[in-house]
Amino acid sequence: MLSILRGFLLLTAFLMLGDITVELFTLPLSSGVAGMLLLTFWLLLRRRLSRDLAAASQPLIGMLALLIMPGVVGIFFQADEFSGQWLTIFIALILGTLLSSLTTLWLMQRLVASPRERPHE
Amino acid sequence: MSELLLRLESLAHTLPQHPETAIVLTLAAYFAGLRLFSWLRSPAWCPPILLAACLLAGLLALLPLGYTEYRRGVGWLTWLLGPATVALGVPLYQQVHHIRTLWKPIVLTLPPAAMLAAGYAVGIAWLLDATPTVLASLAPKSVTAPIAMGIVEELQGSVPLLMGALLITGVMATLSITLLARWGNIHDPRVIGFALGVNGHAIGTVRAFDIGPTAGAFASLGMSLTGVFTALWLPLMWHFVG
Repeated sequence: MLSILRGFLLLTAFLMLGDITVELFTLPLSSGVAGMLLLTFWLLLRRRLSRDLAAASQPLIGMLALLIMPGVVGIFFQADEFSGQWLTIFIALILGTLLSSLTTLWLMQRLVASPRERPHE
Repeated sequence: MSELLLRLESLAHTLPQHPETAIVLTLAAYFAGLRLFSWLRSPAWCPPILLAACLLAGLLALLPLGYTEYRRGVGWLTWLLGPATVALGVPLYQQVHHIRTLWKPIVLTLPPAAMLAAGYAVGIAWLLDATPTVLASLAPKSVTAPIAMGIVEELQGSVPLLMGALLITGVMATLSITLLARWGNIHDPRVIGFALGVNGHAIGTVRAFDIGPTAGAFASLGMSLTGVFTALWLPLMWHFVG
């Protein structure tokens, strides 16, 4: 339990650090994302993951679905705001996702396969 | 006795304002959603979060509690989204060794793939005369939810619409990548996993773990990198274009 709290302190401190960085350099990032990037760099520099950090991050990541639920519910109360645009939204999402999936598969397949075609590598 | 009734009546007015009411409703709907999901035999097209959200919306509609009031009360819980987003740095760090083994295709594929994941949908919506709010809400549609919420607030889009977009994108990416891989004769789990993570965020990653651990690892790598990369370029680009 104390291990989780110590890890939570570390995560919240990185969130604060992210907040400070975003404010100081007026970055177009949320403080959570800035904190995540700072934490990743810090871990890459240390090359070691502490038990505390693992203990605190695992349950939090597992809770993500619960934490975004209040935001998801809003769609039922703000649906009128987008009346008349639902067809556009569906077409953009379905066609857009199909096209981007096709592009990623094609690009990645070509690039992963290409070194094998050159025998001298 | 009549005094007790009076107090009961005033309680009915004040109780919905308390934060614990919002939190109890959210947690109860969450666990009921999970129950319902396993009772329906875990349908892939309908994640438990959607079921839970429908239940919660029903509860809010029935009770004398407005959405704005609810959001204020539940703030105690949603604040945790901040540290939870920071926590995503841990799996990202753990996946970094995959970049070392296959850095060239990853580095070359990620930027165009992540940009097109946003670009195609925004472009199509723009051609169809969508409003700026809709465009801003669709842009982070392939990014994992906690990061996408941060982005959409920067772009001044709508969080609820983004959530709907994330759901449709995740399901659609999973379907189309499964079909396209079969049709294009692609069997490399690294390629399929990476494509699932980049386009289908958490929903695609869950599907990739069904395929196997290699596909799953590459999906979570693709998901993390897309999130980070999009969080960096999209707001900058948006300020520049808009």
